[in-house]
Amino acid sequence: MPDPAELYDAILTGNAKKAEEVTKAALEANVNPSELLSKYMIPAMDEVGKRFECNEYFVPELLIAARAMKTSLQLLTPKLAAAGAKATGRVVIGTVQGDLHDIGKNLVASMLEGGGFEVVDLGVDVPAEKFIEAAQGKDGSIVALSALLTTTMTQMRNVIQALEAAGLREKTRVIIGGAPITQQYADEIGADGYSDNASAAVGLARKLVGTA
Amino acid sequence: MGIKGLTIIGESINDSVPSTHALFEAGDIEGLLELARSQDAGGAGYIDVNVGPRAPEFMADLVRKIQEVTGKPLSIDTPDIEIARAGLEAYDPGRAGGAKPLLNSISPLRTEMFDLYKVRPFKPILLVSERVAGGRSQPCRTAEETCQAARSLIQQARDTGYGFTNDDFVIDPGIAPIASDAEGNLKRLIAAIEKIHRDPDLAGVHMSVGLSNFTVMLPPKRADGSPLKSPLESAFLTKAVPLGLDMVIGSVKRKYELLPENHPAMTCLNQVLKADGFDAIMRVRDFYS
Repeated sequence: MPDPAELYDAILTGNAKKAEEVTKAALEANVNPSELLSKYMIPAMDEVGKRFECNEYFVPELLIAARAMKTSLQLLTPKLAAAGAKATGRVVIGTVQGDLHDIGKNLVASMLEGGGFEVVDLGVDVPAEKFIEAAQGKDGSIVALSALLTTTMTQMRNVIQALEAAGLREKTRVIIGGAPITQQYADEIGADGYSDNASAAVGLARKLVGTA
Repeated sequence: MGIKGLTIIGESINDSVPSTHALFEAGDIEGLLELARSQDAGGAGYIDVNVGPRAPEFMADLVRKIQEVTGKPLSIDTPDIEIARAGLEAYDPGRAGGAKPLLNSISPLRTEMFDLYKVRPFKPILLVSERVAGGRSQPCRTAEETCQAARSLIQQARDTGYGFTNDDFVIDPGIAPIASDAEGNLKRLIAAIEKIHRDPDLAGVHMSVGLSNFTVMLPPKRADGSPLKSPLESAFLTKAVPLGLDMVIGSVKRKYELLPENHPAMTCLNQVLKADGFDAIMRVRDFYS
């Protein structure tokens, strides 16, 4: 049986085939799935994030690593669910209404998933009410909003106002990002956080759910 | 220098460029004007002006000041109709040898911007990477959808009765970063450029892409220390220019050139065009790592 520790390297180097092989073998050998996740997989993605932030890794490495992580996670998820394991947190993510750009949003979603979060990806051109629906009844959710255009970033404020109107603002955290977004804009519209890259978004989300 | 028949719309005066954003934030108008001068001297055919989310009056003022230091026509670059209106109003064709400005850009969801022709005749850059289907905007996933979006938007422009000609239209079929292209966007783009170029109804239209977007999110250099972005952008141009691409929003500092087929960047691009899904991204990573 391959050493479960090989899973760390497989994800770090983006070797999806190896990640799948090691995960399967580990599960067959009854290795605790939560341990696989917390000991090898999440630390591997954390290392990917660190390398990304110091310009040692770039978006291709990040995407390839996230795909390897996802391959393993798909094998693990049913077992984790059966064991009642809880995700680090829950994130509802989408690109706001009127905006079809999804590259940044997808990167953030992948990194959050790699960071142990349950990610509900609503896609692009998402109206405020869809975010409300997805956050309803799931207290503590993080709503992550993406926009690339100066004309669509204003929708972020609408989503926050809609959360307030639905009585959900106190029970959710809102984080925002995208090319025209700044911390100043996040403060201005009352968002709980802003990140200018996918890796830092994971740290931000962890901070907001109190696991950083 | 440069590629024959390829017009560069100088990209530097754009709020999303970090160094330019700093100039905007510092109110360093002279710094912005210097960018106009240097791009003019560097061979730009147009000077792009994107002021980000600033007041329309700011755009108007900047357009006037830039036209005092360059005789090149401008590209008024904003998705905001009021900022566009202000830029067009301020634009003086007389200072640009009578040339119309570009308006960057009109998408299927912003067709009301055609009416700005009444303010000042312009050449529209038409963003056709999106289309309207079922009353909502959708990304174009195929070359045919892209070409259809171009035909549809051009028809809407003609229907305005303002007298747009094919020579006025600059079609932007949408370029996506190669760093994250797991969905075959480059294949769609190359095929779309060829299709649009061959469409008899679209004869004489121009085509442009925001070339720097192609290599964003990649390292500046390959593992051997050689540059990465310029060769990849040149490889793209080597493919796209013969198919009809004749404009780019890009940098006058980049050494765009047509590459021989055996150039490593051409090999990379050809591999990406043959690959599917994440394999395409891995071919890009292999090229620089």
